[in-house]
Amino acid sequence: MSPERFAMPGGCPVWVQRRPGPEIVSAKLLIRAGSSGDPVGGRGLTQLLAGVLSRGCGPLNGEALAELVESRGAGLRCEANEDGLLISLKCASADSAALLPLLLTMVQRPWLQPDQVELERHLNLQALQRQREDPFQLAHDQLRFQLYGSGPYGHDPLGVEEDLEQLGPAQLAQRLPDLGREGAVLVICGQPSAPLEPLLEPLETCEPWASFAPPRCDGPGGTPGERLGLVSDDTEQLVLMLGATTVPLGATDALALRLLHCHLGVGMSSRLFVALREQHGLAYDVGVHAPARRGAAPFVFHLSSSAERAAEATTRLLDEWQRLLEVPLASAELALARAKFRGQEALGRQTCSQIADRHALILSHGLDWDYADGALAQSSDLTPADLLGAAQRWLGAPALSLCGPAQALEAAASSWRRHPLSSGPLGVDR
Amino acid sequence: MPTAEATAAQPTLRRLANGVQVVKLEMADAPVVCLDFWSKAGSRREQPGESGLAHFLEHMVFKGSRSLGPGEFDHRVESLGGNSNAATGFDDVHYHVLIPPEGAAEALDLLLQLVLEPRLDADDFAMERQVVLEELSQSEDQPDEVVFQTLLNLACPGHAYGRAILGERAALERHRPEAMATFHRRNYHSESCCLALAGPLGHLDLEERLAGGPLADLVSAPAQERAPDLRLSSGRHRLEVPRLEAARLLMAWQLPAARDHEAVMGGDLLTTLLAEGRRSRLVARLREEWRLVESIDLDLNVLEAGSLALLEAVCEPEQVEQVEQGIRRVWQELADQPPEPSEVQRAQRLVANGYRFSLESSASVAGLIGSHALWGRPLDLEHPLETIERWSAERLHAEWVPRLDPERAFTLVALPA
Repeated sequence: MSPERFAMPGGCPVWVQRRPGPEIVSAKLLIRAGSSGDPVGGRGLTQLLAGVLSRGCGPLNGEALAELVESRGAGLRCEANEDGLLISLKCASADSAALLPLLLTMVQRPWLQPDQVELERHLNLQALQRQREDPFQLAHDQLRFQLYGSGPYGHDPLGVEEDLEQLGPAQLAQRLPDLGREGAVLVICGQPSAPLEPLLEPLETCEPWASFAPPRCDGPGGTPGERLGLVSDDTEQLVLMLGATTVPLGATDALALRLLHCHLGVGMSSRLFVALREQHGLAYDVGVHAPARRGAAPFVFHLSSSAERAAEATTRLLDEWQRLLEVPLASAELALARAKFRGQEALGRQTCSQIADRHALILSHGLDWDYADGALAQSSDLTPADLLGAAQRWLGAPALSLCGPAQALEAAASSWRRHPLSSGPLGVDR
Repeated sequence: MPTAEATAAQPTLRRLANGVQVVKLEMADAPVVCLDFWSKAGSRREQPGESGLAHFLEHMVFKGSRSLGPGEFDHRVESLGGNSNAATGFDDVHYHVLIPPEGAAEALDLLLQLVLEPRLDADDFAMERQVVLEELSQSEDQPDEVVFQTLLNLACPGHAYGRAILGERAALERHRPEAMATFHRRNYHSESCCLALAGPLGHLDLEERLAGGPLADLVSAPAQERAPDLRLSSGRHRLEVPRLEAARLLMAWQLPAARDHEAVMGGDLLTTLLAEGRRSRLVARLREEWRLVESIDLDLNVLEAGSLALLEAVCEPEQVEQVEQGIRRVWQELADQPPEPSEVQRAQRLVANGYRFSLESSASVAGLIGSHALWGRPLDLEHPLETIERWSAERLHAEWVPRLDPERAFTLVALPA
């Protein structure tokens, strides 16, 4: 079924995908205003704003808003990631008329009440503190700094403590009028009540919310820093993250990198799983983290292995990365990667929320509604040489982030220094 | 409440000649089929000396079977665009494949061969032991998992629910393939296994395919004696945990077993009323109003030998006592006076919608009907929704509030070392 499309009075495009099945609705308003737009000294601002949007808007205070949503058994979430601020609503079809008006009301008339801002900020500070319990988070934060420095992608969307402590209602109020200025899109999937247009009007009359379909334009880049990063922690395992910055979703090499991701990290027949877990028992968890981004997306191998095997695990992980730069995929490997890519696409279209999510992401990058179908078709034209070329262009000089006990760090660092990858070209200008 | 039906279709159940149950639900519009094999071989079936064996076996199954070489299953399923995984619990284990419909028939043959005829090769066994030990280390590096395991250990002494599913390191190091083969023979029988299928099943020539395969060859076994029911001991304990950044207050209560589904649904409603959403009692008071916790969760774990409600509050170490008093106060208010009908209705809507939303994907549908068939629970998909309606504020107050009395709980306070 093809989607319906119209624009809200202020210009924000709305896409509606009607779908048989349970009588439910998933709505995603994705605004191109992510944590990469946090101001200097205000890292954490966008996430804080997202959190406060649902703490009162229009005629409803925070309690009344929560009561309205929860009494209908609905789910409402507001969160920021690097590239966008996402408001997600999921409810029974019968409740869509009562709840959809909240979307614009939250964006246009949030209360930003000092007491609620203070509470949300405190919760974010506590969450940041708790994240430090997780060695994967520590390794990940360090790698983020190695790849993006103090650039727009250089901090967790939750922010950093020293900045977050300075933020209050005034900064949020300042950010608010700009929210739609880089574009936004609303995607609705399921069985909403018809006609839909009047349901999207905010609960209080106000000027139309000014926004427009997000144009295609690349987001932030990387800032190459230290190639080796060490965090000492008293754990049993050593966590390794090896990564580089690559290209935006939709860029020329993005599809080749996506196929490499499938080859290396998707499923139990994937290269990293077989080479490190099945053949050497070096890890339980091993894989690739390569989220879509509007700017220089990270491409990361991750692994955790017992401290005693740190040297072996490091060398083998580096060997796998080196192999990417030197050995083209066999045609059978490429065929398997394509099958996984197709399978992943099917798996990601199971629920209304998944469908709305994926289309909102694609549209917010300025790509076409059916970009994913086009990418699937194009993937059959790519050759092993194309994949090798993409790897060589983007993955030549990865950074290694380690978190674990001192002795393991030392052993892994010495494996790194002996490995040819560590002397690769320093950050290529991108 | 709106009484829209959960779904147009209902699952159908049939038995093979040897008694194995096969349950399926046609979901014509779903993009993938889910094939889900269930067995009662959870960690509760482990005997002394077998710690961790149920979960270790789940790993070994993927190392190949009589007819499938190492890695062949994964390679073939994934070449068809599918993926697979498995999960071991206290009561049961299941192995599932998600796959586009064109590949479902082949994947079903492969899945049954894999699960029912594992090879358990000695070299693979030694290698996979390393992986399981890495999995154990990884979980021991997450302090919240350490705290959680400690709670179960102290609250359920002498019971399988108090022992880690991953097993004890020393036991894992001692296990041999022969003992695992014995465990497999003892626990994979026609009465203790079932197969669930959901999605667009048109391509699947099910009758013929199953009749000639290993599922039809499963033999019956003498009924195992029912494992002892859980006897949770109330009490309290305090410990310091390295690498913990925030304090945790955990509480565990024993609740009716899964077979009492009417009661379980009441428990689902009360835990939702207490801790799901900003307007729930515990969140509204402890987080929003008193601002004592970063988060507070209360989960109902539905289990065969006795369910468990598990509460976790995350807070500053110096506020743990106030948090505990706050929880007692919230409970006391509820004990003194039944909840408002509007509160109960809110919980009913949340639970019912959560259930309806879960019927969207073939994986969650297969999981639901598979576990229900395995444990002999009603298969009618409307049944939970009808049960929800039977709980009033007065009935919850009379039957359920006393069960969550903090005096009946085991309480664990974990502080940063």
